[in-house]
Amino acid sequence: MGYSSTIKVPFGPQHPALKEPEHFLFEVDGDTVVNVTPRIGYVHRGMEKAFELGTYSHDLYLAERVCGICTIAHTTSYTQVVEERMGVEIPPRARYIRTLIAELERLQSHSLWVGIVAHEAGFDTLFMYVWRDREVVMNLFEELTGGRVLHAINTLGGVRRDIAPEAVTRIRAGMDYFENRTKEYLRVIRTEKTFLKRTSGVGILKPRDATGLGAVGPTLRGSGIRNDVRVDDPYIAYDEIPFNTVTSDGCDVLGRTVVRAEEMLESIGIIRYALDHMPGGAIRVRPPRSAPPGESLSRVEAPRGELVHYVRSNGTAKPERYKVRAPTLANIPSLCKTLIGIHVADIPVILAGIDPCFACMDRMLIVDRNTMEKRYLER
Amino acid sequence: MSEIVEKLQGHLKSDFLEVTLQRERRIFARVGAGSFREAVRYAILELGFGHLSTITGIDLGGEVELLYHLAYKNATALSLSVRVPKGEALLPTISDIMPNAAIYEREVHDLLGVRFEGLQDTSPLLLPDGWPEGVYPLRKEQTYGDLHEIKLRRG
Repeated sequence: MGYSSTIKVPFGPQHPALKEPEHFLFEVDGDTVVNVTPRIGYVHRGMEKAFELGTYSHDLYLAERVCGICTIAHTTSYTQVVEERMGVEIPPRARYIRTLIAELERLQSHSLWVGIVAHEAGFDTLFMYVWRDREVVMNLFEELTGGRVLHAINTLGGVRRDIAPEAVTRIRAGMDYFENRTKEYLRVIRTEKTFLKRTSGVGILKPRDATGLGAVGPTLRGSGIRNDVRVDDPYIAYDEIPFNTVTSDGCDVLGRTVVRAEEMLESIGIIRYALDHMPGGAIRVRPPRSAPPGESLSRVEAPRGELVHYVRSNGTAKPERYKVRAPTLANIPSLCKTLIGIHVADIPVILAGIDPCFACMDRMLIVDRNTMEKRYLER
Repeated sequence: MSEIVEKLQGHLKSDFLEVTLQRERRIFARVGAGSFREAVRYAILELGFGHLSTITGIDLGGEVELLYHLAYKNATALSLSVRVPKGEALLPTISDIMPNAAIYEREVHDLLGVRFEGLQDTSPLLLPDGWPEGVYPLRKEQTYGDLHEIKLRRG
C-alpha cells in the first residue's frame, strides 16, 4: 500500500458544533489531526470604523452590541476608558452596581458554557438542566435592567437604574437557589464517568504554552496560571471585594470546566458581598460631551478572559480611534496548539473549551445592510 | 512604574522619545522606529512584560502609529508606540519573540496596510477572499461610503 497523504477536513463556517461561524481547515492523518488553519472574520461588522463615526454617547450603544453574552464586559470597559479620558469619577454606589451586574453576567455566561460543553460531550441532560437553572439569572437581568440579553444599564457617568429593595430580596433568593444547583453540577462534572471520559486529558495545554501563546481567562487558569484581571489590575469595586482566583492543574477541557463552575460559586459570593456592602447615594453623574486629547487603555476580566479597550481622543465629541481586543482572539493561537495531535472526534469539545465568542472577536470591516431587530413580548 | 521607565530610558537612550504615566499601572511610551524592535525585545525578555495584549494601529494622516500593549504580571500595562510613514509602512515582526504577535500583526496589515518584515504567514486574517488589493478599511481616506460600495460590488 504505502501511500500516505493527509485529508483536509473543512470545519465551518456552518457546523453543528459551532455556535458562531468560523472556519477551521483540519489536516487529518487517519484519525489524528496534524495541522489546523483557522480563518476568521465571518462576523465582521465594521465596528472599529463605526466607533469613529459616532459621538461617545452614541458609541456606548455600539460597544454594547459587540457581543450578546459579554455585553456587560464591553460596556464596563467602554465606560471606564471613556470616563478616564473625560476625567469623570462615578459614584461608589454605581461602582458596586456595575460589579454586581458584571458578576451576574459571568454567571449567565459560564452556565451557558457548561451547558454547551455538556452538549458537545454528548451529555444533553446536563445541558438542559443547566439552562433551566440559568433562567434564574436571566429573569433577574430582566427585572434589574429590563432586558435578558442587552441591558443598557452601564452608561457614561454611572448606571441608569438603581436596585430596589424588593429586587435585592429576589437576587438573594436567586443566588441561594443557583448556588445549590451549581454545587450539584460541580459534583456531576467531577464524578460522571461519561463526561470525564470526554473531557479529562482532552485538549492538553501546558502552562508554558498557555503563557507563551498569550492565552487568557479560564483557558489560562485551567492550566494552573493564577491570572485574573479583577485581582491583578482591579477596576470598578473589585479592589474592595474579597474573592478567590480559581485555577486548575488539569490543563485539559475538564480543568477549564471545573474552573468556570467554581468561578460561578465565587461570583455568587461577590454578588452577596456587594449587596451587603452596597453604598448609598447617587447612581450617576453627568459626563461632559467631549474628551480632551489623550489616550487610555482599559482592561476587564470578561467571562472569556482579558478584554482590552483602547481609545485615543482628539478633543472632540468623537473618538479618533477606538480599539477592541476580545479574549477569544487571544485564545486562538493556544487553541490551534491544543488542536494538533488530537482525535477528530475531540474537535468540538476542544473548540468549545475556550468558550469561543466569535462575534466579539471579529467586529471590524463592513456593517451589513441587514440589521437584526429583536422584539420582546410585553408580559 | 518609574523604575520601569528609568530602565527603558537607560536602555534606549535617545530613541526613547516621550513617556506618559497616565495613571497607576498605565505607561504610554513612544520610541523611535530604529530601535523599536529592541525596545519590545527588552520589555518582553528583560523587564518581564510577558504578555502581549494586542497591537493597535492608528492612522494619523501622513503616518501610521502602532501601539504594542504589553502587560507585566497581568497588572501594569506598558503601551510602546512607534510611528512609520504611511507610504512606506514597514516594521520588523516581533512574532519570533512573542508568537501570538502574528495574529495581531496580520490584523494591522489587513486593516491599515502596514507590512511586517519577517512575518511567516501574511495571509489575510479578517478581510474576505477577493477583497481588492490596496484597500485598507481603517485608513481615514477610506470612507464608510467607499467601503459599502466595495461590499455591494462584490455581490
